[in-house]
Amino acid sequence: MSDIQSALHKRARALLENGDVEYVIGWENARGENKTRPAFIRRAEDAERLVWNRWCVNSTAKYLLHDRWPKGKIAICARGCDTRAINRMLSDGQVKRENIYILGIPCAGVENQICRRCAHRNPLVYDELLGEPAEEKTDFDRFEKVKEMQAMTLEQRRQMWEDEFTKCIRCYACRNVCPACNCRECYADQYRTGWQGKQFNAVENRVYGLTRAYHVGDRCIECGECERVCPMDLPIMLQTGRMLMECNELFGQYECGLSDDETPALGTYNLNDADSFG
Amino acid sequence: MRLKKEDLNKILALLAKNRELFVPGQVRGIKQFKLWDGETPELDGENTVLPPKDILFPKTEKMYAYKTGTETEISEIVDAPERVIFGIRACDMHSIECMDSVFIREGYEDSFYARRRAKSLIVAVACPGAGVNCFCESMGLDPDAAPGADIFLSGGGEFYGVTANTEKGETELKKWTQYLTDGDVPKGEAHCSLAPAMSPELSEKLTGLFDDDEFWQEVTEPCLQCGTCSFVCPTCYCFDINQSSVGDEGVAFRCWDSCMFSDYNQNAGGHNTRPTKKQRLRNRYLHKLAYFNERHGMELCVGCGRCINKCPAHLDIAEFIDKAAEVCHD
Ligand code: SF4
Ligand code: SF4
Ligand code: SF4
Ligand code: SF4
Ligand code: SF4
Repeated sequence: MSDIQSALHKRARALLENGDVEYVIGWENARGENKTRPAFIRRAEDAERLVWNRWCVNSTAKYLLHDRWPKGKIAICARGCDTRAINRMLSDGQVKRENIYILGIPCAGVENQICRRCAHRNPLVYDELLGEPAEEKTDFDRFEKVKEMQAMTLEQRRQMWEDEFTKCIRCYACRNVCPACNCRECYADQYRTGWQGKQFNAVENRVYGLTRAYHVGDRCIECGECERVCPMDLPIMLQTGRMLMECNELFGQYECGLSDDETPALGTYNLNDADSFG
Repeated sequence: MRLKKEDLNKILALLAKNRELFVPGQVRGIKQFKLWDGETPELDGENTVLPPKDILFPKTEKMYAYKTGTETEISEIVDAPERVIFGIRACDMHSIECMDSVFIREGYEDSFYARRRAKSLIVAVACPGAGVNCFCESMGLDPDAAPGADIFLSGGGEFYGVTANTEKGETELKKWTQYLTDGDVPKGEAHCSLAPAMSPELSEKLTGLFDDDEFWQEVTEPCLQCGTCSFVCPTCYCFDINQSSVGDEGVAFRCWDSCMFSDYNQNAGGHNTRPTKKQRLRNRYLHKLAYFNERHGMELCVGCGRCINKCPAHLDIAEFIDKAAEVCHD
């Protein structure tokens, strides 16, 4: 890992010194042990603040949307999941490839449960790769947790989601961190139309949870950020996971963020599509 | 006066008589205040994930019901049951004093809050152990003191020291006499994990940083503008007023809001007064550490560390204080 970190220091410094990029998005140490946070490095002499270690859990890609019209290029440290997030936003027409310079980081997994179910440890798109490719893993069932949920009775599932939506505090952290939630204006913020009621209760929380799940269910890149950030520990990925599993069953092998021009399954009309329902 | 910790459940039974008694415990895996169910409350360990503010300032409060048509009918909704909040710590007790200042003392008296507050008895307990991100001592508090509570249970060991700080507390204590004995109790040993360089002088200097764009860009850049920090904070008191109608009937309600949200800062005509995270998080930090002090004579942060525990971007108000102190004293 430290090899990658020193390569990163060297490259970040050079990119900034040469004026190739305006800033570099990566991670830096936060106070206390075992904690990093997203870093935005603008001066070559600060390049060494960047770190790469197993505490680098935050997704970097979503920050590209915080600067949609950058003055110069943005260099971004991107692991496999971050490159899928970048592909997501490229496919959705939310960022421009020519605005980004991708420093690909092979990743053996960080301190996040989701990494156990990661099938893309190497960046899928990059301008340069820092370090040797990581070993890919396939020894897991992508939909294991969804299947466990499906094995519950209808009543058990109803009760479980009732409890979960009661817990939600509608902080919108799951939306704000999600690379598939890239709408310029979220339906939940269209307060004059009032799609999303403002009361904090299980009913409104369910409206939010299910609406978001449907909006991102066929575009979710399975990065796990929504679950990582949820302060109330809602199993949010069971919702998008269920949608993705269904897409796999109906339309064949289906995984998002693998290329930069994907059309989402539910946004595509095809006469040959399965219509087993109805 | 002191109380044997063993006798706690008997006291709780007294407190629960004809009243709703809230104590810390687990609800669906999240530590928070909940109605007492006869079990021993979870006083030890880290503080609750969610603050007790919802008990006095509910996340959704129905204000009045209406019926439109040829004649408009409006009926007030009054919901202020007799309650006891048991087991809150020094930091959270102080957060209630902050809310008292906002909703009762300084200027307008908010009837919804004032009614709930008047009907609540607060029994605070000495902090049994600080979490990794606690810094209440830096905010001028003592983990083994809660002067604002009606009753305070102090100290460490097998006894609690018992003090009433208010008339309401004294009246209540009269019911406890059979469980109280004379004797001293050693001072509680809990101390904060963090010691950021907060001071009244820093509070004064902070507003001077307002226009330092580079400073704020650096501090706020990782922020995702979610509502997590506001919603887990015991002192954030902003609300929005809205209504929900079905046909010609409905209710007006107020619900928690956060200055991190875009519509919080939206004005008529669509202008947003704080369009970016830089302005929003600056407002949050300055409100906590400077503006509130100008009007209410105390900081709006009690050092509970909840926002640090839960921020998805790993932002840290204690780290911010140190960073600001460095810049201010340069
Ligand atoms: S992050 Fe969790 S608590 Fe916040 S809105 Fe999403 S599901 Fe609800
Ligand atoms: S895992 Fe969650 S955060 Fe990641 S893309 Fe899917 S819905 Fe969005
Ligand atoms: S919840 Fe829906 S509308 Fe809101 S940002 Fe996500 S995809 Fe867009
Ligand atoms: S500081 Fe953290 S918790 Fe607060 S709005 Fe920003 S990202 Fe959310
Ligand atoms: S700002 Fe953070 S540390 Fe301060 S009272 Fe609020 S949640 Fe606690």
